Amino acid sequence: MENFLVWVIWLVAAGACLVTGLRVVTASNPFSSALSLIGNLASLAVLYLLASGEFVAAAQVLVYAGAVMVMFLFVIAYLGGRADAPWAGGTRTIQIASVVTAAALLAVTLVALMLDAGGRLSDEADVDRAFGSPAEMGRYFLTDQLLAFEITSIVLLVAAVGGVVLGMRSEAEALADAEETA
Amino acid sequence: MSGPGIPWYLAISAMLFSIGVAGVLLRRSPLIVLLSLEIMLNASNLAFVGFSRLFGEMDGQVFALAVMAVAAAEVCVGLGLIVAMARRNLALDVDSFTELRG
Amino acid sequence: MITGAWVCLLAPLAGFLAILLAGTRITRRQAGIVSTASVFVGFAGALVAFLDAWSRDPDDRTELTTAWTWLKAGEFEVGLQLLVDPLSLVMMLIVTGVGGLIVLYSNGYMAGEDEERRYFAYMAFFVFSMLMLVMGGNLLLLLVGWGLVGLASYLLIGYYHDRTSAVAAAKKAFVINALGDAIMALGFFLLVAKLGSLDFGVVFDAAESGELSDTVVTLAALALLGGAVAKSAQIPFHTWLPDAMEGPTPVSALIHAATMVTAGVYLICRTHPVFEAAPDVQHLAAIIGMVTLLVAGVVALVQWDIKRVIAYSTMSQIGYMFVGAGVGAYGFAMFHLFTHAFFKALLFLAAGMVIHHLHGEQDIRKMGGLKSSMPFTHVTFLVGTLALIGIPPLSGFWSKDAIVSSAGAMGGVLGWTLYVGCLVGALLTGLYAMRLYFYVFRGEPAAGAAPAAAEHGHHGEGPQSMKIPVAVLAVGSAIAGLLQIPGVWEPFDTWIDPVAEPLVHPSVAEDYLTSLFAVTLGTIGIYLAWRAFTAGRELVRAGGVRTALEHKLWFDELYDAVFSRPAQAIAVGLRDRFEGPVVQGGLDEVAEGTLRGAAATSAAQTGLLRTYALAITISVAVLALVFLVVR
Repeated sequence: MENFLVWVIWLVAAGACLVTGLRVVTASNPFSSALSLIGNLASLAVLYLLASGEFVAAAQVLVYAGAVMVMFLFVIAYLGGRADAPWAGGTRTIQIASVVTAAALLAVTLVALMLDAGGRLSDEADVDRAFGSPAEMGRYFLTDQLLAFEITSIVLLVAAVGGVVLGMRSEAEALADAEETA
Repeated sequence: MSGPGIPWYLAISAMLFSIGVAGVLLRRSPLIVLLSLEIMLNASNLAFVGFSRLFGEMDGQVFALAVMAVAAAEVCVGLGLIVAMARRNLALDVDSFTELRG
Repeated sequence: MITGAWVCLLAPLAGFLAILLAGTRITRRQAGIVSTASVFVGFAGALVAFLDAWSRDPDDRTELTTAWTWLKAGEFEVGLQLLVDPLSLVMMLIVTGVGGLIVLYSNGYMAGEDEERRYFAYMAFFVFSMLMLVMGGNLLLLLVGWGLVGLASYLLIGYYHDRTSAVAAAKKAFVINALGDAIMALGFFLLVAKLGSLDFGVVFDAAESGELSDTVVTLAALALLGGAVAKSAQIPFHTWLPDAMEGPTPVSALIHAATMVTAGVYLICRTHPVFEAAPDVQHLAAIIGMVTLLVAGVVALVQWDIKRVIAYSTMSQIGYMFVGAGVGAYGFAMFHLFTHAFFKALLFLAAGMVIHHLHGEQDIRKMGGLKSSMPFTHVTFLVGTLALIGIPPLSGFWSKDAIVSSAGAMGGVLGWTLYVGCLVGALLTGLYAMRLYFYVFRGEPAAGAAPAAAEHGHHGEGPQSMKIPVAVLAVGSAIAGLLQIPGVWEPFDTWIDPVAEPLVHPSVAEDYLTSLFAVTLGTIGIYLAWRAFTAGRELVRAGGVRTALEHKLWFDELYDAVFSRPAQAIAVGLRDRFEGPVVQGGLDEVAEGTLRGAAATSAAQTGLLRTYALAITISVAVLALVFLVVR
């Protein structure tokens, strides 16, 4: 019974994941794309939970869906849903090539999975309840993976600076604004 | 563990990844390209978490968190670029930037 | 002895390099002084070496010194070697002595703009090359000197480079000389293939001992003869010498009278063991000499250019030297070379004074009566002419007749034919030489000559720098012959003997008898020329003969038709058929192909990000596939 429930939840989440993913890529309105992405993130969070990654799931919802996507929505709102560009780009050849390449990549991976399923990919390790908990995560971050922790913080700092610089007004713009208000 | 084995997670990850690749290569609006990029990053995160569960090591999840942070940073810069483009009244069209031509 | 030799060789080279490097920073006068000084320093070096050699035993006079190994290819080795022995010492003294006098003369003759710096540099270079030729210790260095004198000759003949005739003459000289060089080089290749060395000792021993087969020795001797004939302007490679008179007169004196053209004679004397091992070739050399001396003598009878007459005379006298070397009388041949250097250079330089005095006039029909207006030149020219004809006691008498009597001493059909031929040559010499003298110095001055002479009256016949060398050479022409009086003393012959032992030894009686014949014939020639001149007639009047001689026996036309035209036709044909379409077209194709390739490649640079991203993705997919398959 329990197994059955798990399977159902898994299938629903996986299905939602794929459907929303497709929606993101195919929607013409960027707003719809962004909302679909939020749905995608949510279903992914469910999948993480099923795979004993509790902290990651929480972080996903808080950071990704909460902060990053909100930023996206802000920008989309600012842009006013401009539809400057047609849906697809590049020549016909490039379009077909793109789809084919993506499909090929998928095929290769699936084949690899199928060949190895039953081999190395089937021995799952036994994990205790602490696996995936915030305590475990914190311990790892501050001992074994300290370097990753520090580098990530630097990356975030750089991004923050970059964001500010990109948002700064250029001299020309400042002059133009001053003229307008004068 | 009950439920689907790890290969299923990995399969979902692969499918999401190729959907993201197709989106990056096909779409013309930079916003959508960024969103497709997010799909790809999430797909890789799923793979990380899945492998972490397979081997019983926390490293995968730690790295998934790092990836999330980097993705946030990248989105910040990317959106800053798009806003700058819009402010300068440039067309929000990836194909219109052909200065590398020739 | 060796130090003197090195100084002798390197001084003119230093002079040449000094003028070359100084470039426009020195004036013509300074260049002239440097050049003259360097050659005279060379003479001093040669003199020192000579005196040292003289003080030694006759058997001890040869020294071969190696500076360093110049060329090494497997087992074939060539060192930078100098050979100082009696033969080379004679040549060194002649080249630097007469050369120095001529360069001194040039200081006065070549007065003009500063372009003469080039001339003096070339003169020093020539002296160096000639010394390299005579001092070379092995055949390869001799060939180096050989080629370099050819180059110097080209540079100096074409000195007046804005005259097309001069340029053409320089080219002609160079091409024919190069032909001779190539023939000689082929001979050297043969020697290297058979012997593995070009050292004199090795080659001569092999030739004498019979180590080389008859064919090889004959071929080698023929190759050497070919080179000698081209360099010395003997028939059939003679056509360049008359045209070479386009160069300045001192050049004609130095290169085309005293030294370079005698290099062929030197070569035969130096490599005489090879010739002695191939007697047929040696006799061929004598025959060539005789034919040349007769033909040149006859053609000289109808020439109107003063320098051309002297040029043909040179050709003729070298023919005598070839006869001498051909019968094995090496000492006499070299002695004639020695005296000839004096009187031929004298004749050229005196003719130069005449030309200079008449502002560049060279046609003897426009000259005449210069006896009174140019007394110094008159006397010196007469001395030279009489020496040439062989009137005793002037030098030509002693040297020329020795060769003739050697031919007689050789005997046989060949010997006596040469004997008669040479005597006829003596008659011809008398004829053309006196004809020249009469036309230039006697008779009435031609119309137009007088005003020019009057203009020049104020500074006499020429500057001191021109008169002194002429005077010295005149004295030399007069007394140099006294170095060899048959039966009384023969220092010259004894000097050369250790190096090149003569094959024939005419007796004293034969010598004096021959001299009697020769002098008689010479005097007859003078008389006939005088008779013709005073009667206002030309010596050769028969129409057909005259035309043939005026066209120099059509040698030039023959060579033009057989060699020149076909060569040009081939060249044009190749240019049109091969070089244009194939070579140029091929290059064009390559260039165009590259451009097309580049254009095709740059089509990939679309500038669209998506193209690049697609490329990356495709690569990743391929890699994944590869990993899948391999693992």
